[in-house]
Amino acid sequence: MVASPFGKRSVMSKSRVITLCLILAIVLAAAGGAWLAGQGIVSPAEAAARTAPPTPSPILVPVEKRVLSSEIVTRGTARFGTPLAIALAPSLLKSNSAELITTLPLVNTQIKEGDVVFTASGRPVLALQGKAPAYRDFTPGTSGDDVRQLEQALQRLGFDPGEVDGVYDNKTGAGVAAWYRAKGFEPFGPTPEQQAKARVLEAALGDAIKNKLLATTAAAGAELAVKNARTKASLGERTAKADVSTKIADQALIALDPKSLQMARIAADAKVSIAQAAVESAKLEGEVAVRSAVEAQKVAQFDVQLTGEREQQARAEWQNTVRKIGVSVPLDELVFVPVLPVRVEQVMGVVGSSSNGPILSVTDNQIVIDSSLPLDKAALVKPGMEVSIDEPSLGLKAQGVVDQVAATPGTRGVDGYHFYFAVRVAETPTQLQGFSLRLTLPIKSTAGAVLAVPVSALSLAADGTSRVQVSKDGALNYVTVEPGMAAEGFVEVKPKSGSLEPGQMVVIGNDFIESLNRAEKQP
Amino acid sequence: MNVAYRLAIALVLGGSGFVGSALAQAGRPGTEEFGLTEKELVQSVEKVEALIADCMRKQGFEYVPADFRTIHRGMIADKAMPGMDESEFVEQYGFGIATLYTGQAPQLNEGYCPGRIGLGEQNIEIFKKLSSADQAAYNRTLLGENIDATFAVSLEAENFSRCGGCTLKAIQQVFKPEQIRATYVNPLTEIINKDPRMKAALRKYAESMREAGFDYNHPDEVDVDVKKRLDTILGGGAPPLDKLSSEQLSSLKKLQEYERKVAKLSTKLQKELFDPIEEQIEKEMYARQVK
Repeated sequence: MVASPFGKRSVMSKSRVITLCLILAIVLAAAGGAWLAGQGIVSPAEAAARTAPPTPSPILVPVEKRVLSSEIVTRGTARFGTPLAIALAPSLLKSNSAELITTLPLVNTQIKEGDVVFTASGRPVLALQGKAPAYRDFTPGTSGDDVRQLEQALQRLGFDPGEVDGVYDNKTGAGVAAWYRAKGFEPFGPTPEQQAKARVLEAALGDAIKNKLLATTAAAGAELAVKNARTKASLGERTAKADVSTKIADQALIALDPKSLQMARIAADAKVSIAQAAVESAKLEGEVAVRSAVEAQKVAQFDVQLTGEREQQARAEWQNTVRKIGVSVPLDELVFVPVLPVRVEQVMGVVGSSSNGPILSVTDNQIVIDSSLPLDKAALVKPGMEVSIDEPSLGLKAQGVVDQVAATPGTRGVDGYHFYFAVRVAETPTQLQGFSLRLTLPIKSTAGAVLAVPVSALSLAADGTSRVQVSKDGALNYVTVEPGMAAEGFVEVKPKSGSLEPGQMVVIGNDFIESLNRAEKQP
Repeated sequence: MNVAYRLAIALVLGGSGFVGSALAQAGRPGTEEFGLTEKELVQSVEKVEALIADCMRKQGFEYVPADFRTIHRGMIADKAMPGMDESEFVEQYGFGIATLYTGQAPQLNEGYCPGRIGLGEQNIEIFKKLSSADQAAYNRTLLGENIDATFAVSLEAENFSRCGGCTLKAIQQVFKPEQIRATYVNPLTEIINKDPRMKAALRKYAESMREAGFDYNHPDEVDVDVKKRLDTILGGGAPPLDKLSSEQLSSLKKLQEYERKVAKLSTKLQKELFDPIEEQIEKEMYARQVK
């Protein structure tokens, strides 16, 4: 009997299948366990690879063609030139020194040469250009550099002052008169006071002349009196001496006469003595008379001298006064200003008040901007450099040049960490004074547009050459360049190997963040 | 952090009761101004200050970026005076808007001036050395029309709508457009305001204010309104007190009285109605369960 192989196999196969399944389950379980265990096992290389940063993507920027310029940007306040105060000095030609202001100009009024600046007590105060200030009245006969300055100004204004010789003569006076009249004012001529004074001085001079004549006459009389006194004294003495001689002769006759009596002799002697005494007396009297006459003569001569001096003094005063009686320019009617025209900056005086003290201040029309530079930038700025001036918020724009840079920091009101510098503004119709303005000083600039890349695009090769990494068709290639001027974050580059064109993309860095984001998104 | 990672953390921490808290924290706003976190605030301040300095330099002015500490000092200087707590300040000066108005540039104001503190001493010294024309241009460039709206003050008030000049330009580069709008509300405040308890408190606040004759629905409206009223009186700009007309001075005096009254009541109501609720809501939002 043959057992059904199928049935036997069937029994066997069932157990085998179970066994196989068990084995498979165990294998699968082992494989799963191994896989799970394998998941936890990380080799150092794998760990390093997993934790390594993802490959960064390059950040590209285009090569540009642009003008590069480095500049200093600062601020400053615009003003007109340094203010010049105008005050009046009293004139000796005017008896009333306290002038009252009658008219004043408005602020910003332009004052040209020859203009009336303001009026005081109805008289004009005129402006002329001149470096030396006026310090005295200009009257006929005065001379000096200030007169020359006046003559030059008259000539500029077209009023003929005659020869420009520094002497105020009649022609100068005529020029002044024409100038005054052109401005609507009468020239300053002799005043009634001056005329009255001249008349008084003239009368005084006449009196002095008369007194001198009288004194001279008196002196001549005194001289004669002296001569008379001397003659009289001499005559008296001689007479007395003759009497003495007579008496002596009589005495001798009596003495020689034997018949004469003793009494007669004594009497003759006495007469001689008396006569001799008379001689002394006459001598003394003569001397006294002469001395008196001499004294009187001295007094007369002194009187002559005194009246002569008085006459001279009176004549000088009269001449001085008469000389000034012509067209003059009183000191308080003229102002010399170094540069004209000027503009009225500030009016300090008040109409109706005294003209003492500063009345107004003027400035020239040149706008200057006061500014300052940090210590490190000051050395880069030189006088004459061009400056762009603007104030974007107010729409102001102008050009200027550096006028001056202080030699030391901390001057002209800036602190010790800054240098003062001033910018002279070129003529502009824009009103800039009083505004805060932005000053841009280009320190260095490329000659026209050049190839430029951001500074961060430039790197150094191992051999020390500069290079940029250019992206082309997905590939990155280095191009050796020669760097030039750097400004505004860009650097000028000239390709030395390969080519570099505007618009080509160069690498300035690697975008790690983008790479990280990409890595995170990847499954 | 991707969703799978968050889910994994959630599954791992599932049993600990941390899930709700962690998920809530993932979407909650920061506690600082404009819903920023402390770190974000510091970074934003530093960025804005650097941008302001750059903008000022381009305009020809020196500006030293103020550090976060300086800005923070400027922020906390609001309604603070030596020897006075906030309630005493409010009692005496209200919000200090019209009551302490001088019209002076903040840099030159030696009295109460929160704007001055946040500018930093170096910038104040730079400003003082400028000519008066440059000073005016400096503040116009830095702050625009409202010279009191410095960065620190505006940051504290969470209101950049009054900022101008380089400050606004810098803010625009760092903050989102919606944060710069006058209508901006801090997301945290928004959340709190949506809370039924807060809604009830706001209703109560509006009722109480109306009973006292003031038409305000929210405390934030009050100081903004006082500022608007002050701007109306001044007619634009910030003229110094001695340049104001007698009518302007009279209106200013009235506004000062108004400011004191409304500030006193608003602050009182705020403390009574909002502070406890805000504290409670914040506690609920930000509290961590400690195992």
